[in-house]
Amino acid sequence: MSGVIFGHTIKSGLRATIIWGIGLLLYGFYATAIIPDVDALQQYTNLMETMPPALLQVFGVGEDMAFMSTPAGFVSFGFFGYIILMLAVYAVVSGLNVTSTEEDQGIMDVLLSLPLPRWRIIVEKFAAYTILSLVIVLLGFAGLVAGLEMSALEVEVGRLLEGSLNILPSMLLIMAATVFIAAVVRNRGTATAIAAAFVIVSYFLNVIGGMASGSIAAQIARLSFFYYYDNTGVMQNGLAMLNVIGMLAVVALLVAGAMWAFQRRDVGI
Amino acid sequence: MTSVIKTENLTKVYKMRGKEVRALDSLNLDVQQGEIFGYLGPNGAGKTTTIRLLLDIIRPTTGRATVLDMDAQSSSVELHHHLGFLPGELNLWRGMTGEEVIEYIGRIRGKLDKAYVRRLTEQLELDTRLRVKTYSSGNKRKLGLVLALMNRPQLLILDEPTGGLDPLMQQIFNHLMREVRDEGRTVFLSSHVLSEVQAICDRVGILRAGQLKAVERVDTLMKAKFRWVTLRFHEAVPMAVVENVPGVSEVAVHSDSLRFQLSGDFDPLLRAVNGYYVADIRVEDPSLEEIFLAFYGNGQTVQQASGLKEQVAS
Repeated sequence: MSGVIFGHTIKSGLRATIIWGIGLLLYGFYATAIIPDVDALQQYTNLMETMPPALLQVFGVGEDMAFMSTPAGFVSFGFFGYIILMLAVYAVVSGLNVTSTEEDQGIMDVLLSLPLPRWRIIVEKFAAYTILSLVIVLLGFAGLVAGLEMSALEVEVGRLLEGSLNILPSMLLIMAATVFIAAVVRNRGTATAIAAAFVIVSYFLNVIGGMASGSIAAQIARLSFFYYYDNTGVMQNGLAMLNVIGMLAVVALLVAGAMWAFQRRDVGI
Repeated sequence: MTSVIKTENLTKVYKMRGKEVRALDSLNLDVQQGEIFGYLGPNGAGKTTTIRLLLDIIRPTTGRATVLDMDAQSSSVELHHHLGFLPGELNLWRGMTGEEVIEYIGRIRGKLDKAYVRRLTEQLELDTRLRVKTYSSGNKRKLGLVLALMNRPQLLILDEPTGGLDPLMQQIFNHLMREVRDEGRTVFLSSHVLSEVQAICDRVGILRAGQLKAVERVDTLMKAKFRWVTLRFHEAVPMAVVENVPGVSEVAVHSDSLRFQLSGDFDPLLRAVNGYYVADIRVEDPSLEEIFLAFYGNGQTVQQASGLKEQVAS
């Protein structure tokens, strides 16, 4: 019956989602509530200016230090800059849960003996994890709003929401890449390693490209999804719809590729 | 009779560390409607591979399988509406209760006959309120049987179904299987336990090293059945004492013991050893390979059959 696996995945993933969401909410609250006023923010920015540019790039801070000293700039660096790396873990684990975990545990044999096309397992589970990811992102947004209420900083709520929603395409892309890898590679350990390598390599491609603007490394950085994440840009100019649509198109391609690969191969331990 | 399972040169070759392993070799099998078919063979013979091919969990290298007149691969979704399956190693969602698993599987199937499920759980004495992770292997097996039976499938495919069940539950299992057969439905079960197959199967097929060696009716096969008997005496006894007893063959002497094959009744044997002090009697069922070779003969002795068995086991 259609939607049963979707419902089951939502139910079974809810606990982990709530834990992640509360963690993100607290982090969002803490990251903004600790700044009591604009002076404190300026002191923070001054401290950052003493750091080597390469190190700042690793932390996701661009060249625009003036923006960094604004409340919106601080949130883009202090929250959105880090949070994507943390949520990459959730995205990889969720991606593995689409097929790999049950295949590794031997449960997939039971599922595949039921009147259920293989592609539907991928589609329904991916849709469920998309919803759960959205819940986490929105809880993080709630934490930011609450934290800003406690501090003297002022950031437009609409912009905060855009910044939060900007996390989602990247999370889905990591998840979709993991689903695709797990659909091609039968071994869960190998799939985990490749998915982790995908995230780490993408991150450093973007960092190296950012440090060497105008070079070939900067061109290669465009291959990294972090390049399109652009946590600073979203807080300055709002959601870059072209980036979002492009990333979602890659997500759709990866999910379709996963469905194709999983349909073709032998399943099981 | 209608064929429920029909395979044509079904072959599965795996690549392991660059080497090709032929897990199933040109299997031609025909299972009829309304029978309990025992699929027998030692571990690694290809029983589970066959089952996974029939369920479209893995794909054949060559050949094809037709189940309930549907292609096992291209019509798998439609076909699975009419199948019940119990895997050899049943793994389920550990955090869910038995009830939740039944409900989940039932919803995927699109129907759940709660009254029938209740009857099954009562018959099998299964407490479905417990979480799967707390179940013993026997209880997990029972839950697996409920899941396989609950949609009243036209074909039940069971991989080593009674492992972990106590003797009383095995009797209930046998009863359930006969009930399925009496309703005109079909059971295909794999096993390496002769007594299990003997008790309920109508026909058996024996698989060895990926090849189907024989298919025979169980009652026909059992006519060729013999036992290994070992008599231990207080002192050494000559071979001649039992050698000419009707039904005795393959006699061997081991210090104070005689070991031989016995077909038919015990009475002539007991009369023959009357007067000697018998310290111990041991009776063993022959292996399936030994029965098959005794049945098919082909000029092979039981010793050769035993050798073959060891060869298969290794």
